[in-house]
Amino acid sequence: MNLLANTVAPSALVIDGLVVGAILFALGLVGILARRNLIVMFLCAELMLQGISVSLVSWSRHHGDWGGHVLVIFVLTVAACEAAVALVFVLQAFARTGRLDSAAWQSLRESNLPRTIDRELPAIDTVPPKFPKLAPAGVEPAADEDALHEREHV
Amino acid sequence: MIASILPSISPGTLLAGGITAAAASLWLLLPSGRSGAADRTARWLGWLLGIVALAGFLATGHRLGSVGEEAVFLTVALVAVISGAATVVSRSPVYAAIWFAMALAGVSGVLLVLGGQFLGVATIVVYAGAILVMFLFVLMLAQPAGLAPYDRVSTEPLLAAVAGAVLLGILSLSIGRLTAEPPACCLMGGTKAALLADSATTEPPAAAATGIDMLADNHVARLGGELFGRHLLAVEVAGVLLLAALIGSIAIVSRGAADAEPAAARRAVP
Repeated sequence: MNLLANTVAPSALVIDGLVVGAILFALGLVGILARRNLIVMFLCAELMLQGISVSLVSWSRHHGDWGGHVLVIFVLTVAACEAAVALVFVLQAFARTGRLDSAAWQSLRESNLPRTIDRELPAIDTVPPKFPKLAPAGVEPAADEDALHEREHV
Repeated sequence: MIASILPSISPGTLLAGGITAAAASLWLLLPSGRSGAADRTARWLGWLLGIVALAGFLATGHRLGSVGEEAVFLTVALVAVISGAATVVSRSPVYAAIWFAMALAGVSGVLLVLGGQFLGVATIVVYAGAILVMFLFVLMLAQPAGLAPYDRVSTEPLLAAVAGAVLLGILSLSIGRLTAEPPACCLMGGTKAALLADSATTEPPAAAATGIDMLADNHVARLGGELFGRHLLAVEVAGVLLLAALIGSIAIVSRGAADAEPAAARRAVP
């Protein structure tokens, strides 16, 4: 009979926890909707689960009840199962198409939806990484001419 | 604090501005196939708008009791939220996974502050230790060299950001309503109120009224008692679920490998 807890406004910490949970959930939702890489989509689903966990623990604190904590433990369990099965599916999809792209499976879409067509992307202007160089020291050993010519790989 | 400096702006306006800024920031930050200077400008602008959004949320947030508690909560919550945003917008999936690990660290800190001592540690052990490593293994197996074209574009970034903003707006509206007034389900008539007032004298004060964590002492022992007492059957079912997932994934891998070989051979022929 913890009716009283329902009538009391949550403490500031509980409210802040709920807000953090809501932000994490919304971020995960945006990622799932927008990203195309299958693995990143699953990472975003896990982010949504994290938001749910934070909310559940906040409510558990508010009510002084173990329900939220127990539920989060089951969320962890189901997330582990889901990740195992989902990653196996991702690996199978990669083995068949050679891509981690959700649009590679767009033949499964509804018949009235337009086809996703990739446009040409501009080249990436990558700056080659600068690695530190050691100052040369010591005496350079004499190179074996035969070994240099015969050897195909270093 | 910031809300007192800006008394003319109502918290609702501040929150709406923050959510709009967050949506615009995500839209700019999500991969869109831009390159070069345009991409860099969009990213800078996106992170700047993200900071504005966070400031909006901080200004409308509630102040916790002690400075230390507030500082710790703010730190871990900012780590969680910023790393979560970086997970969503990272071009490279490997970086996304690493940022997700950082977000997990933040979430586990939030759980610790909220009084979930066992869950905070379990999140690190189970998620960062097992699930995330599994993700990274799959990435190493399946990631092509360099950035793939499908990592550099996203489907409908604007609509996705708007959907996220709408969801966040609805959620924060309903959370904000919790403090202003009790929800409609708990508005009570006279008799119920009298009954409640009666029970209030006999029962210990609720956790919310005192702000004290009632679950703090002997935390893990009591959580274990609850889990293996009241929820014993659910624990057994969860064990069966884990076993089924294990067997199922092995079965899918072994059967899929046999099916995928002819497909790979077909791809290799032309």
